[in-house]
Amino acid sequence: MSASILEAKGISRRFGGVVAVAEVSLSVGKGQIVGLIGPNGSGKSTMVNLVTGELAPDSGSFLFNGSDITAEPSYRRARLGMARSFQLLRLFHSLSVEENLLLANYMRMSSSLAASILGRRSATGEEFRARQRARELLAWFDLQAFADRPVSALSIGQQRMVEIARGLMSEPALFVLDEPAAGLSPPNVDRLIQLVRRLRDEFGISILLVEHVMRVVQDLCDHVVVLDSGRKIAEGTPDTVVKDSVVVEAYIGTGWRRRAKA
Amino acid sequence: MKSLLVSLGTTVLLVLAPFLVGGYETNVLMIILFFVILAVGLDLVSGYCGQFSFATGSFYGLGAYTAAIMSRDLGTSIWIHLPAGALVAGLFGLLLGMPALRLKGHFLAIVTIAFQTIVYLVISQWTSFTGGQVGLTLSNPGPVRLFGMTLFELGSLRSYYWLTLAMTVICLTVAWRLVHSRLGREWIAIRDDETLAAAVGINTTRGKLTAFIASAALAGVAGVITAHALRGVTPNDFMIWTSATVVAMVVIGGRGTFIGPIIGAVLLATLPELLGRFAEYKLLIYGMLLVIAVTLFPDGLAGLWQARRVTR
Repeated sequence: MSASILEAKGISRRFGGVVAVAEVSLSVGKGQIVGLIGPNGSGKSTMVNLVTGELAPDSGSFLFNGSDITAEPSYRRARLGMARSFQLLRLFHSLSVEENLLLANYMRMSSSLAASILGRRSATGEEFRARQRARELLAWFDLQAFADRPVSALSIGQQRMVEIARGLMSEPALFVLDEPAAGLSPPNVDRLIQLVRRLRDEFGISILLVEHVMRVVQDLCDHVVVLDSGRKIAEGTPDTVVKDSVVVEAYIGTGWRRRAKA
Repeated sequence: MKSLLVSLGTTVLLVLAPFLVGGYETNVLMIILFFVILAVGLDLVSGYCGQFSFATGSFYGLGAYTAAIMSRDLGTSIWIHLPAGALVAGLFGLLLGMPALRLKGHFLAIVTIAFQTIVYLVISQWTSFTGGQVGLTLSNPGPVRLFGMTLFELGSLRSYYWLTLAMTVICLTVAWRLVHSRLGREWIAIRDDETLAAAVGINTTRGKLTAFIASAALAGVAGVITAHALRGVTPNDFMIWTSATVVAMVVIGGRGTFIGPIIGAVLLATLPELLGRFAEYKLLIYGMLLVIAVTLFPDGLAGLWQARRVTR
């Protein structure tokens, strides 16, 4: 019925006396790339953690594919088809690159854990196929040579690609990318932009993109939501949003003058 | 392939051991094997899943007392006691796993110490049920029967040694399969990064609880064999010192490796035999070794070995 993959309705969350997110609503349509931007401390990261279920909102609700997921813990949201990357890279450091990918596919396996423990063919066959899939994905990212290496053998840029490959391994409908361009060199930012577009065009994945680098947002997003001090202050196409006076003020506006006086 | 040959060779040697060495040495070997099961079991929850536990001694005791009490009240045999001991210890493992869902690090460690202490107090003070400080004795079981046929006489030291060896092989096989299954990978994922584990769809609650249950059940099995082999149970074998000793074995041998806890158990269980009259200082020595291990080689002896292989 609904054309949105994700809908957030009036989400609020406070930490003690600090309101991190206040009454924020946003929606990601199927096949859309939606940007979530805002200055430091505007509540973007809190919003991401609320969307993926690491945090629970104080009020408001989330719909995923039309069904209410507000009460679902993060592992259940992952199973429903929500993948994420982290602002500060997160990988399993004692496992190989390939195993990092495999773990994201376990939830898609139909053979039981007992079958895996007993080494039954239903499980070993399925695990073998997942391994092949992981190899294919790594080849797609030009990382096949690193499959058996520990993740620490990779550069930051490569580790970020492993994070995205891991997301693809979980066969998501929505991919939440938390500042994927952070720490990347300009040529790598270009690669990232192309990659994110391919995620949508070739894999049909909808994307919620949290980003600081404006070039990424302007190149990719169909729709942008701007947060400031936990509130939604604007939304629209990238072009209209960057010209919005409230947004300009939030980013460069009056804040620095006040701080300079103090 | 090489490791399979080594383990087969070791097993054959251990099967023949009672013919090669005397009764005293056979007894020491048997005690080492008890600790091998306990250490490998603790490694599942502490090493692989990253959840601290100082409660191994209590699960060991729960298994042993399950055997002793069932033997006294029901007259059942060791073949019933083995699954029963694993079940009882596993259920209590589940119980201890519950707080582990909310606590981390030191706080979890304190809860496991409290659990260990409570179990010890119950088995040492509930005299009418557990025999109190004196403990309980198990009578000689006589011939072991299967479908009415006498398989062998269980009673001699050698027969218990072989039984212990067989159960050790079974327990290690189970632990190996667990660690190398999807469940084992999930434990490692939870240890490395719990938030990320949940984000890739791993049920971290199930992961932690299964690690606690598996670890406790293995200790329970070790307890059942110990109760039968020693023909009795006393609460002092299941105090916090036992738990601390097994922790030292796992840490010194190498957390999160399969061979590490085995090495640690063999080393630390042999040590008191070599110390002679200084054996009463063994806990002091374990403590010092533990401190040395944590500061100089935190990945244990197995970690040292692996690091050497990687750098070469």
